[in-house]
Order: sequence, then C-alpha cells, then structure tokens
Amino acid sequence: MVIYLKAGSELRLKLNPDVDFYTRRVETEEGKTLREILKDIRLAPAFVAFAYSEGRIFSLDRAPRDGQSITLQPPVSGG
Amino acid sequence: MGNGLAGTTLRINLKTSVVRRLPTDEALFRRWHGGRGITAKLIYDEVPREADPLGPENIFIMNAGVMSGAFIPAGSKVSFGSVSPLTNGHGDSNMGGHLGPALKFAGYDLVVFENIAPRPVYLVIDDERVELRDASKFWGMKSLECEKALKDELGEDFEVATIGPAGENGVLFSCITHDFGRQAGRTGQGAVMGSKRLKAICVRGSKSLRVHDLPELRKQVTEIMLRTRKHPNMEPWQKYGTAFFIRWSNDNAVLPTYNFQTTHYEDTDKIDGDQLVTKLLVTHKACFGCWMNCGKYTKAVVPGKPAVYLEGPEYETGALCGANLGMKDIHHVAYINWLLDNLGMDSMSGGGVVAFGMECYERGLITEADLEGHALRWGEVDDVEHFLDMIAHRRGIGDWFAGGTKRAAQKIGKGSEKFAMQVKGQEMSGYDGRWAPGMLLSYMTADIGAHHNRSWTITVDMAEGRERIAGRAKIVIYLQHIRPLFDTWCICRLFWGELDITPEEIVESLNHITGWGVGVDECLRTSEMIWNLNRCHYLERNRANGRTFDYPPARSWEDKIPSGPGKGKGLTREQIEEMLDDYYDERGWDRRGNPTRALLEDLGLGDAADNLEKIGLLGEPLPGGIPKVRGEKYKPKAF
Ligand code: SF4
Repeated sequence: MVIYLKAGSELRLKLNPDVDFYTRRVETEEGKTLREILKDIRLAPAFVAFAYSEGRIFSLDRAPRDGQSITLQPPVSGG
Repeated sequence: MGNGLAGTTLRINLKTSVVRRLPTDEALFRRWHGGRGITAKLIYDEVPREADPLGPENIFIMNAGVMSGAFIPAGSKVSFGSVSPLTNGHGDSNMGGHLGPALKFAGYDLVVFENIAPRPVYLVIDDERVELRDASKFWGMKSLECEKALKDELGEDFEVATIGPAGENGVLFSCITHDFGRQAGRTGQGAVMGSKRLKAICVRGSKSLRVHDLPELRKQVTEIMLRTRKHPNMEPWQKYGTAFFIRWSNDNAVLPTYNFQTTHYEDTDKIDGDQLVTKLLVTHKACFGCWMNCGKYTKAVVPGKPAVYLEGPEYETGALCGANLGMKDIHHVAYINWLLDNLGMDSMSGGGVVAFGMECYERGLITEADLEGHALRWGEVDDVEHFLDMIAHRRGIGDWFAGGTKRAAQKIGKGSEKFAMQVKGQEMSGYDGRWAPGMLLSYMTADIGAHHNRSWTITVDMAEGRERIAGRAKIVIYLQHIRPLFDTWCICRLFWGELDITPEEIVESLNHITGWGVGVDECLRTSEMIWNLNRCHYLERNRANGRTFDYPPARSWEDKIPSGPGKGKGLTREQIEEMLDDYYDERGWDRRGNPTRALLEDLGLGDAADNLEKIGLLGEPLPGGIPKVRGEKYKPKAF
C-alpha cells in the first residue's frame, strides 16, 4: 500500500519529499504502525512532535490505511 | 515615501509629568534596528552603571521597531526594556497582541520613561493626545481586571498594557500584560514599570504607516500568504499551538519535572496539549497581522474556585507550572497560569520559583511556620495559590522568593543554591539541559539570563548526539544572533520556525518597509553587535570576569537524570568548562569570558572596549586573533 507523508521546516529535509515540496510517497505494508514506517524510512520518530491527519492527531502507534495523507509536525520551541 | 517609522519619539519625565516630543532618530533605528537593539543602546548610554534598576535613574523603554504594524506576517510585537532588576544587566522582553501596531498608528516609534512618578499614573496615547492620568483607583488592581476596567473607561478600541500587584510591589520577575493574556514576561519589566508607579499604558492610533515600497511589499506578502496557507504545519499549528510539545518533551527526556529533578513525568497525559484542546479550549486567538493564531483562549474550572478565563497555557507555562510542580490536572495548570497572569508575574519564572519553593519544603528547608500555616506540596493547587499571594505581596518569606530563585537560595542557604534553577538570576525555560548540552550552553550564555528564545537547540542536540559537545558552541552563537533579530524587528519568530519563511524573505520585507537595502549578513552583524554591547554592559555593572556569571546551578552537573528515557544521563563539570572555553573562543572573547578589543572594534564598539579597559575587564588579545566568522548555521543532514 501507499501513504503520503508531509513535513515542513527542518523536518522536510529529513523526509526527502519526492511528490511535491512537502510530500513523500511511501510504499509500505498494511498493518504497520506509523512509528514502524518512520523507522523503515530512517526518520527517527523523536524528530516528530506529533502526527496529524484528517483534522486530528494521528498516533504514531496507529497503522495508516492505504492512500492516507499524514502531516508530521516538527518540535519547535515554545513562545 | 516612508521608512516604517511613525516619526515621533516621546520622552516622558514621570516626576515632572513633562512630555517631550522629538523627531525619531532614524540613524539610531538604522544602526540598532529597533526593539531590543534600541534598549541595548539607550540603557548603555544613559543609565549610570551603579544605578538601582528600580530607582529613578533607570529608564523604561517601549518601542515597536520598524516592522511592527506593517503589512507583513505577524508584525505584531512591542518591546519593553530597561536595566533588569532580576539580572542586573540588559533586560528586554516583548509581547504580541496589538499594542505595538497601535503605537505606530498613533504616530510614535519610541517612548522613553524617565524618573519616578510621585503618585500612581497611567499613560494615555490617543493619536496627538498624550497624557499622564491619576491611577489611584487602579493601583492595587490585578492585571486582567485593570485591563478590563481601563477598556471600560476609555473604550474597547484602546490597546492596554498593565501591571499587577507583583509589579507594584517590586517582585523582580513581574511581567506586563496585554490583550487579556499576552505577556512581556521575562527580565522583570513589570517591576521596573511598578517602580516608576506607572500602572498602565493605553494606546489608540488611527494613522497609517508609510513604507518605502508598498507595491513590492504587497506583492511579496501576498505570495507568502498564499504559500503559507497551504503549508502542512499550518492547520495543526492553528488547532493546537505550542502546548502539544509537552508530550514530546517528556518522551525525549527534556521535560522539567519536580523542579528539574528529573525529565520524565508520569502524569504527562493529564496535562498535555490534548487535554488543553479537549477540556479547556474556548476559542483560538491571534495577534495583529497573524493567520497562524497559536493563542488558545481557555476556561479553567477548579472546584471551590471561580471559573477563570485566560490565554494558555502554552508550552513553557504548561511545562513549568505543570510537570515541574507535579500538577495532575490541566485545569489546575491553567488556574495557576491565570493566577500568575492576574498577579502580574512571569509564568515561566513563576513556575520555576514555586517549584524551587516546593523542593525546599520537601527537604524541610522551609516549613508551615514560614508559610503562614500552609504547606507547599507538589501537585497542590491551593498551596500554590497561597504561596503566590505571599510572593506578590511580599509577605514573610514571600519577600525572599519575590527576588527569584537565586536570591531566595541566598537567603535560605543550606545548599539550596544547587537546585535554584537559574542563570544570572533568571529562571530556566521549560527544557532540562542535562541531556541536551547545546540547550544548557544556551541558558548559560544568554544575555538576559536563562532563556530559550535566545537559542533553542534541542533538535540539534538530538541530531548531532546528546552526549557530544564538540561543535555545539558555534551553532548556539549563530542562533543567538538570528533568533533575537526577530525581537529587534518586533515581529513574531514563529513564521520562520514553523512555516519556512526564510531569513532572506524577511530581510526583503524589511527592505521594502525601510529602504535600507541590507542583507541577512549585515543584520546578523547588527545582532552580534547588540549581543556584545549587552555583554560589556553586564560586565561593567557586575564588575567581575564574564565567566563567573555563566555557570548553571550545580544540579546541572552533579545530578544525573534519575528516571525515564534519560535515566543516568548528564554532563560533567569538565564538559561544562569545555563548552564555555569553546564558546568564548568562537565568540572572540578570552577564556575569562571577556570580549577583546579586536572584536569590539570590529563591531564598531570601541567605546565599550575603552570602558572595559578602565575597569580591568577587557579581554586579553587572542593569540591567533579573533575568528573571522562568529557562529555557524546548523545544516541538518538529509536521511
Ligand atoms: S504565531 Fe502566535 S505568537 Fe506569533 S503572531 Fe501569531 S498568534 Fe501571535
């Protein structure tokens, strides 16, 4: 199956986007958690503050479905 | 054609009530850019070195730089500055909201308050009308209540900044509040305002601001607006703001917990951003010209207390008044945030001071007898409320804590200095640096005492190796130059950090506004000049080698992290010394932490070199000369 990961800021450089400026297409197996998928593409989950999809938080320990688009939010300093 | 300046500077003598209107010194803004740069220059030139920061000789400065109020993303900030009573060095702090733009729209770039008013006053600026008015009926009011009362009296369209009882009573970490939840929190600017008996500043402006090249500015900003609307970070940021990083900090062993004893909080789930959004959120809120709206307007309900409305808690307050105090309910964290806002205390230093008090209580160094019969236990909101009231009104040992953790530890003694989590008198922000060496170095060397906004390196520490210290100093220095630039320009930094607006784009906007025709490198050099002037000022006021002041409390090297994913991690004293050596070498300072003449002259600060020489604190010449480039941009590796 295929999912689409998006990231901006410094995290974008770690993601290596290939679809557009922010988005990377990732082929993966059904049932794998987002955390496992990030490890597969050698992006340490520690660099992701939280993931976001379809208007809500997407837990790193959930398995995405085919075609899902997920934004990876980088940690930034507080105000 | 304009230049982003409104044209008039106000000099207000509070003792005599004389208001002088002067043409704004454009050369001053051109050289120092505005915001904290103007403060650095004016307090260096005008405040005698021996002057008491809370006395008549200190000046209190408000300015909105050259970018605030312009048609740009988040040109929303106003900067306050003076000699800080908390650190006894340069102090500046800024806040968003709408006050900075209002000041420019009223026709003023800079307001300098001199001397002390004989009785409480507040300032009203309504375009041409500038008046000091009797504030006796507002004196004693809490910050948020006073803002409401002044808006009721003057009109909703006035932008109002107030201090609370803490500022009136000289609590050294007092803040200035505006827009019912925006604070200029750091370095005790609220205490300086209180020392001058200036309760509030109210501004209404109806003019427009002239810029150098409006068509080009409009074209550029429209493109940025369209681009950032589609940025992947925009929607999550709008929805959650900064509070969501609490969980991440905990997972990555940097969350200050129980007064920085550990970095892992077992009850993070009860106080994180998810709780804020689901349990507290009333609506989202933005500053002037901002479409990111990170502000979260919330309602906290604690049984037995009135329901309260506030803005926050954002990350720093959530961390320092949450895990650091052992709070187990997001309503309690928000309620403490509201108490601090309303009493008029910085919620970062406030969280740090209360946590220090709690550890002192746990260790038996202070008791119920010192606390008017109350306890001061982790996680107890009633204990915190009583303790904060003692501090704000300087009752009993509240008087010691009103000076911040450093001064309180000096009074309490018995080894408590080790866990007074501050540098140069200012409490640390919401990150533990024991397993993030760049972050610790950032705190140690920040010009205003421990503060994350000068340099934030946690992700660099993680990417480069959390035990590794080599190479960290260069990156800290680069960040100490680029991040404070936003505080000189008086714009929000978050569009840069979050939405990929580049420094080049921001400087392009700066040029469209001012016509200065500068580049990023020149701006970084200005920032370096400000940094070094502040260092000289600190040395001149505190009369010892700079290195003396750059150490964190001993917990930073004596105690390893005792629990969680960072268990057993920590730095040694030798590593801390090595980081300081590297930092001074990279800055062009000698190993005593004193700037050298070669560096100061290179930055156009020859007078400051002369002044340091007179008191024997000029750095020794460096054998190989000063580095040509000071600081280095971090280049993240692609994976
Ligand atoms: S991002 Fe937040 S702090 Fe910055 S201008 Fe917007 S609302 Fe204000």
